[in-house]
Amino acid sequence: MIDALRFKEEISALLDQLYDSQKDNLEAVAQAMKECIEKDGVVHVFGSGHSVGLGIDIKNRTGALVPIHIMEMSDFVTKGGVPVDEFMDKKNIFERKPGVANKLYDLYDIKPQDIFFVISNSGINGIVIDIADLAKRNGHKVVIITSMKHTLAEEPRHPSGKKLYEFGDIVIDNNGPHGDALIETDGVAKVCSVSSICNNCIAQALSARTVELLKEDGYEPPILTGDRQHDDALIKKYEGRA
Amino acid sequence: MDIKKAYFDLIKDRVSDAYERQKDQIRAVAEMFSACMENKGVVQLFGVRHGEEFVNELNYRAGGIAPFHGLKLKELVLKELLKQEEIDSGAVYEDLSVIDKFAQIYDLDDRDMYCLVSFYGNEPLIVELASRAKEKGQKVVAVVNKKSYDLCAGKLLDYADLYLDMDADEPDLALDIDGIRTGQLSSTVCNVIAQMITAEIYNCFVSKGKEAPVLLSANIKGADVHNNSLTDPYGRRVR
Repeated sequence: MIDALRFKEEISALLDQLYDSQKDNLEAVAQAMKECIEKDGVVHVFGSGHSVGLGIDIKNRTGALVPIHIMEMSDFVTKGGVPVDEFMDKKNIFERKPGVANKLYDLYDIKPQDIFFVISNSGINGIVIDIADLAKRNGHKVVIITSMKHTLAEEPRHPSGKKLYEFGDIVIDNNGPHGDALIETDGVAKVCSVSSICNNCIAQALSARTVELLKEDGYEPPILTGDRQHDDALIKKYEGRA
Repeated sequence: MDIKKAYFDLIKDRVSDAYERQKDQIRAVAEMFSACMENKGVVQLFGVRHGEEFVNELNYRAGGIAPFHGLKLKELVLKELLKQEEIDSGAVYEDLSVIDKFAQIYDLDDRDMYCLVSFYGNEPLIVELASRAKEKGQKVVAVVNKKSYDLCAGKLLDYADLYLDMDADEPDLALDIDGIRTGQLSSTVCNVIAQMITAEIYNCFVSKGKEAPVLLSANIKGADVHNNSLTDPYGRRVR
């Protein structure tokens, strides 16, 4: 029987498995975020498709860290000069293209102390791999969030023959299944995807632990508190960067 | 206690609570969605601010049901019908002309229904979207954070046939780190609710002996053919 109860039970078990298997990697990433923020760095987050949700969930809300910058796919069009029809072409899918990522990367004010999160469940598409490659070549620490089950089951689409996880200084496996959907059915497709739920938990746990580490170091965590004056000053500090 | 573990544990607790309190509503919403879909309707999704995460969770998703469609402010920006600054400042949520702009770029149909997501449920744009849908006799499901909605006297539920509660605190800050408050639960709990709805829609289809229109991850070999076979009959109405 496939119903809400079944999903609740399966996702709870998966979240336990995610935490238990990734707690050391999560700690290492929070340390990297702390070090970056203490040097006035910014965490650049890039994910194509639904993966960008990881950044969105910890951004622009009370209690959220300010020095998080989301590299938006739509910036290709609004700032990078890519025609909207090419960007939204449903037959020749833009996120799969290799060799265009620099148009996005070059738009931003990226400083040496900045770190990158690159997120893709499959980790096989052109743009995410190129962004990770660019960041790494420029000497930045790169954190990959991916589904190892998915990425190992698919052929790479990138001309290098590589997959996203191969570019990570730290790799977090979101423990999602191949194809993202969790529950087997009688048909060809499984049902109920988990990556956004897993990725949100990863993002929130990282954000909270980073705040805690900053606090322990005596560095005031740059988070939105809901106090207008405080928040405006913080936003101004990172203006043009985050 | 490890703060990372604390967040994971909180999510699991809140998901359990949300399920226990709302399982009947979740099933009722899924029945309403699947009835709309069986009548060749599409469930049009719109979310205010972080409410868009719920939209993304149902819209053209791996393991998701095909006949959903997201009304995206970002697409209005891409088509130069809206300025990004209006989204960033929040002014867009008071701009009723957005409804006509959606009608301009999307293929909306009288058979469609609406699922509208807002933490406070009081923004003029989303309330007007709900009101116009009701005027046309279309069904409306609302998703709000009930504690916050009550506090600010929201209006969205006046037009909703059914509603779901995000079940978060007001404000949505579940962790206290030595006096600093952080840790939002609402979007993640909502994502779980969205997947519970997906499971229940699947159940609605198969219990009637019908095949559920379940999408594959676009990053699986052969998925494009399968997914296009589900979405092509709707033309521009989905995706």
